[in-house]
Amino acid sequence: MSEVQAAPRRRINLGFDRFSGLYVWAALIVLFALWIPDLFLQVSTLKQVLTFQAIATIVALGLIIPVAAGAFDLTIGGVVSVSVCFTAWALVNHHGVVVAVVGSILLGIAVGLLNSLVVVKFKVDSFIGTLGMSSILIAVAAMISSQSQIVLSTEGYAPFLDFARGEFLGLPYTVYYAAVIALFMWWILEYTPGGRYLYAVGGNPVAARLSGVRIGRVTMIAFVTSGAVAAFAGIALTATIGTATSIVGEGYLLPAFSAVFLGATQIRPGRVNVLGTLVAIFLLATGVSGLQLAGAPSYVTDLFNGLALIVAVSLAVRTASRRK
Amino acid sequence: MTTALSVREASKIFGGQVALDHVSIDVAPGEVRALVGQNGCGKSTLIKILAGFHQPEQGTEVTVGGEELQFSDPASSESIGLRFVHQDLGLVGNLDVVDNLAIGQGYLTGITKTIRWKQERIAAREALLALGYDIDVRRAVGGLAMSERTAVAIARAMSTRGTPAKMLILDEPTANLPGPEAERLYTLVRRVADSGVAVLFVSHHFDEVFEMADSVTVLRDGRHVITRPVEGLTEDELIEHVVGRKLDEYDKEGHSRQHGEVILELKDLSGAAVQGIDVTVHAGEVVGIAGITGSGREEVAALVFGGHGHGGEVVLDGEVLPVSRPDISIDRGMALVPAERHQNASLMSQSLRENITIVDPGRHMSMGILRHRSEKSDVTVWLERLDVRPAQSEFTMAQLSGGNQQKVIIARWLRQEPKVLVLDEPTQGVDVGAKADIHRMVDEAAAQGAGVLVLSTDHEELVRVCDRVIILRRGKAVDELSGPRLTNDSITAATIGRDSSEPAA
Repeated sequence: MSEVQAAPRRRINLGFDRFSGLYVWAALIVLFALWIPDLFLQVSTLKQVLTFQAIATIVALGLIIPVAAGAFDLTIGGVVSVSVCFTAWALVNHHGVVVAVVGSILLGIAVGLLNSLVVVKFKVDSFIGTLGMSSILIAVAAMISSQSQIVLSTEGYAPFLDFARGEFLGLPYTVYYAAVIALFMWWILEYTPGGRYLYAVGGNPVAARLSGVRIGRVTMIAFVTSGAVAAFAGIALTATIGTATSIVGEGYLLPAFSAVFLGATQIRPGRVNVLGTLVAIFLLATGVSGLQLAGAPSYVTDLFNGLALIVAVSLAVRTASRRK
Repeated sequence: MTTALSVREASKIFGGQVALDHVSIDVAPGEVRALVGQNGCGKSTLIKILAGFHQPEQGTEVTVGGEELQFSDPASSESIGLRFVHQDLGLVGNLDVVDNLAIGQGYLTGITKTIRWKQERIAAREALLALGYDIDVRRAVGGLAMSERTAVAIARAMSTRGTPAKMLILDEPTANLPGPEAERLYTLVRRVADSGVAVLFVSHHFDEVFEMADSVTVLRDGRHVITRPVEGLTEDELIEHVVGRKLDEYDKEGHSRQHGEVILELKDLSGAAVQGIDVTVHAGEVVGIAGITGSGREEVAALVFGGHGHGGEVVLDGEVLPVSRPDISIDRGMALVPAERHQNASLMSQSLRENITIVDPGRHMSMGILRHRSEKSDVTVWLERLDVRPAQSEFTMAQLSGGNQQKVIIARWLRQEPKVLVLDEPTQGVDVGAKADIHRMVDEAAAQGAGVLVLSTDHEELVRVCDRVIILRRGKAVDELSGPRLTNDSITAATIGRDSSEPAA
């Protein structure tokens, strides 16, 4: 094509396709700042949003990895529950913090290995395979907790509870854990060969295999990562709330999927990515906490999350098809 | 004169790149028009505008039989009488002919909304008979011959249950058809045209242009080059219009190149169809394998690359390759450009950069970080070397035309400087210009010492690039052609079973 023809027709590009989430986020902040300035424009609101979202963020960050490789991991909620129950059980039975923490992580890794056994070796669709596995995990969590609530008293378990509750610059440690994991995942996906392999397996497994990517191994590592990260989130959750029940993790499954898929419409449209996922999480959290501060009932959380996901993804599909 | 299709000043710009530049064409009822041009010339953009897939630029006007097309609206293009048959046909293999015809147009139903199967079957049969095909309509489409499937797809497109078809648009109708089946299709298209419907077909095969079309339109770089009757046109003239320059005469001296040591040996290689073949490839040598569908040719690449479990051995540079480990084969210096790039090679939603570097993404890693910038300049060199258009490393694969995608896949492997390069149908669905570029790259790879194995149904291609060609029949290597015996006709004759004068190798 000649130079003359290729002369680009410059249009002002505000990046609505890639950064729509940031615009919506800003709009939400302005909206609530005008609507309920006294309640919303507080440092405590910011702190609250960050703290509440830290654990959900960690779970979602772990989930990015298998989704990038084209696999669903529905066990993350179950892993959080098992990890919470095991941590609390180990602590109240005086096995010590090390056993509690290392044991939980190992359980998460074991679930990841089992998932990959089912998906890679037995060739079960990841959605079905991990759905079955998550049901098994609910049972395991109930067994560990003997189907009752385990409570960690503030006095007895202070060192462990500080693992999550301790503060630095006014923010609990969990926020920093989330930040470190986010940085790590971002590096893996954007700046290492591992990230390329994950996206290649997710994009076209046959082509990936014929290009020398060991797709079975990549899938296994992806499941192990999401399992280990979910287990870590479970430990942090135990320390944050100080109690353990066998169903506590289930509430983290859908938000994580929402954040990852909503995030796939942002920053790098069409693929799941870390920054997009973070934008999605904080956009949703800002909207929800603003509405709650404005006096909306608590079910508004689920309503808002669900609507936001469907609207955002629909818009992304539209812009993508228009761009073709 | 009435026109079936009238396109006025069609333009389309993608992100600053002009894909289609004020193109106007007219097609009369009953006329068969070929639309030709290199990949990226704007053919597919034009077709996609007609199909209501792309929104063209301001000033574009399309009318069909006098009715104006509403852009970006597939329903409008259907309702004014445009019908499309895409290369992949869009049939559902495990459903029978009746069901495939009913997809999209609905079933005939009685008052209770029950499907009237008997009438359906009669209607399906008649639709196909009208096109000259006598097919058992209860057979699953997957079990039909390729030309029969094409007929089913055309019958479905032509169905008049909605508005009558005025214009049939075919995208590479014979791309997947072996010779005799292609001929049946020519007759079919002629019948469609005789019924007063205009036909526009996109093609890379000049034989079908000359056999089938009344007239031809050539596009190049998004612009209209010429529209003229096929009568009186020579193939050389057409090639010149398409590429805008005279094609170099095939340079035969490449075939006297020096060969080195044995680099690849297939010893008693067996698979489902292949039954114990022995092939030796030397460094710097290009060896072809020809065979009709079912001869085992289509299985060879997978066996050589360790994609399937197999019997026998693949020896690369003295070492036996493990079975089913493409990663190890690649590490040892083997490269495979597989057939059917969409399924087997392309990462469609990823950038050209990622597509090319996926074989060894670690090459530009330094201090634990993949350096995107140095990756980009590395990749850009390769895009330019293969003349990929546009040579934009950050474009996604999906934004390129088929021929350019194929060049990207070839760049992926040439960049590895492989010891052995296996090419399976390397120019499938690729235009003349890109094909010549790809053939030149094969020459260069061999000149640099790679052993090349080419599997192809395109016999001219084999004659063009290979030093010798091995003929497969019923899973066995039955002949080997080289030197003066290596001609298009001799390959064709040998693959369909006419034994050559000399004993089999």
